[in-house]
Amino acid sequence: MTGFILSKAVRAFAVLFSTALFVFVVLRFSGDPAERMLGEFATPEAQAAFRTLWGLDKSIPEQFLIYLQHAIQGDFGKSFADGRDVFDIITQSIPKTLTVSVSAFIIAILLGIPAGIVAAIRRDSAIDRLVMATAVLGHSIPMFLVGLIFIFIFAVWLRVLPSSGSSTWRHAILPIATFALYNAASISRFARATLIEVLEQPYIAAARGDGIPPSEIILRHALPNAAIPLVTMLGILATSLLGGTVLVETVFAWTGIGAQFVRAVGQGDLNVVQAMILVFTVFVVMINLTVEILYAFLNPKIRSQQ
Amino acid sequence: MPRLLTVQDLVVEVPGRNIKILNGVSFSLDAGQTLGLVGESGCGKSMTCYAIGNMLPRGLGQAGGSISFGSGESGSERPTIAMIFQDPTSSLNPVHTIGYYLETALYRHQRLRGNDARLEAMRLLERVGIDNAKSRLGAYPHQFSGGMNQRVMIAHALAAKPQLLIADEPTTALDVTMQAQILYLLEELKAETGMALMIVSHDLGVIARLADKAAVMYCGKIVETAPVEQIIQNPSHPYARALINCMPSIDPADHQPPVPIPGSVPLLDDLPQGCYYNPRCPRAAGECFKRFPPLAPVAQAHNVACYHPVAA
Repeated sequence: MTGFILSKAVRAFAVLFSTALFVFVVLRFSGDPAERMLGEFATPEAQAAFRTLWGLDKSIPEQFLIYLQHAIQGDFGKSFADGRDVFDIITQSIPKTLTVSVSAFIIAILLGIPAGIVAAIRRDSAIDRLVMATAVLGHSIPMFLVGLIFIFIFAVWLRVLPSSGSSTWRHAILPIATFALYNAASISRFARATLIEVLEQPYIAAARGDGIPPSEIILRHALPNAAIPLVTMLGILATSLLGGTVLVETVFAWTGIGAQFVRAVGQGDLNVVQAMILVFTVFVVMINLTVEILYAFLNPKIRSQQ
Repeated sequence: MPRLLTVQDLVVEVPGRNIKILNGVSFSLDAGQTLGLVGESGCGKSMTCYAIGNMLPRGLGQAGGSISFGSGESGSERPTIAMIFQDPTSSLNPVHTIGYYLETALYRHQRLRGNDARLEAMRLLERVGIDNAKSRLGAYPHQFSGGMNQRVMIAHALAAKPQLLIADEPTTALDVTMQAQILYLLEELKAETGMALMIVSHDLGVIARLADKAAVMYCGKIVETAPVEQIIQNPSHPYARALINCMPSIDPADHQPPVPIPGSVPLLDDLPQGCYYNPRCPRAAGECFKRFPPLAPVAQAHNVACYHPVAA
């Protein structure tokens, strides 16, 4: 187990370093931040002063080394736009985003998995059709449109919830509902398909022939097998919990990391973009690690290889 | 021997499509007897087993006939039936250990639990020829070979103390030496426990070795049933005869090459009028093209569904 964790840690570090390097270089090749920040009518002198101020006049390897030196000490620089500490921007916006996305994800799992299981067990029945029709709708209507529909219903028409902002918990309800609906739709469809596939395996037929009661077949024989692909799928969904809420944050004027990220990219605010991508990377690496540990726990074939 | 199982005019069909996978199958089995079901792929051998074992695939239903147990009178109990399958590895749940598989079966059938169940599971594993039974209980099916998994399935079947063991192509997926070992094991266990055995195979050699009587199936019907020597040495139905003729001989003096059966099995939704075998049958004439022949006796315990059976 120690070897397992060590090898994963080394790999995670390698991923993090190469992402940092790649993003750093690409950002500096993809446009001149001085021009974007100061506008096209800025004098060459002003642009030169801007570059000197942020160290952009040095060579890229030199810039990267300086960046690394600071980053290791927890200093990710300041925003080009307003001079705020990047670290502060991120630590303020992440909790906002996670409030929405993690609650939505938990709700989506609690709704989606049982719905998918019921649909699979009662395959082709009215309840299966109802669940799947809802899932297709939830999955195919774009998230921003669902958000707007919710705003129309609950804020404009019923006037029970605020339409935008992020100051109170009541502001969180609509963004959470929007994001949860979308995720629940994907989860229920996947859970249904996976369980149906497992239920068609010979070992399930054999268990039935052996007289094992249907509830036990589902709980003890089918679900442990269906859980393996399901965890992979939930892992992939979970990687979008930080970045995937951009649309929802935009619609509801929720000041999470997604909205900040879009602003920073648009303005060429390199320090902010760079740090946020690193945060996203760390997040994805952590999720993948969790999935792999869960996977080893659920799948004896993988467990015996370690 | 008392009657164990009577199958009468069993029909299994795909609902709404008028496709009869089993089309009036009748046979009976006495306690301790071994019945071999032979036929080409898709003839309904396995489906017959599934119908008896109460595990017809989703979407298929028994549309007619009856399966009765014991003397056939109401109140006679369903005997304990266990099944083993063609592909043992995929018939075992990949997330459960061999020990879990056997111990839960022992609890279900014999109410054994805890240490009693463990000891009995080990005894069963040793009985089917798996050494180091103690450490094997913690193993998963993917760590075993196909032959070992088939032994595990047999041990699992024994846990039910079955009066009838249904073996659906138990050796088809195994290599030749393993086949022989599994057949030997089945023979031994049958003698030991006195259970009846229904064995499905397209391999007449397997049937000849294990069965007391055999039934030849074609397109969802039994076309000939007789004591096994009778079928091997003296098949009456032209199809049964053709099946035997396409078995390669092991006798070096016999240089006759196997004779393939001309034509192919008709599709179940496009069966010929009359006898289903008539397009491939050299003896087909007249009545054969009008009605499917009824199963009629040609000798003691020897029934054939043919208007022009091959004479003895």
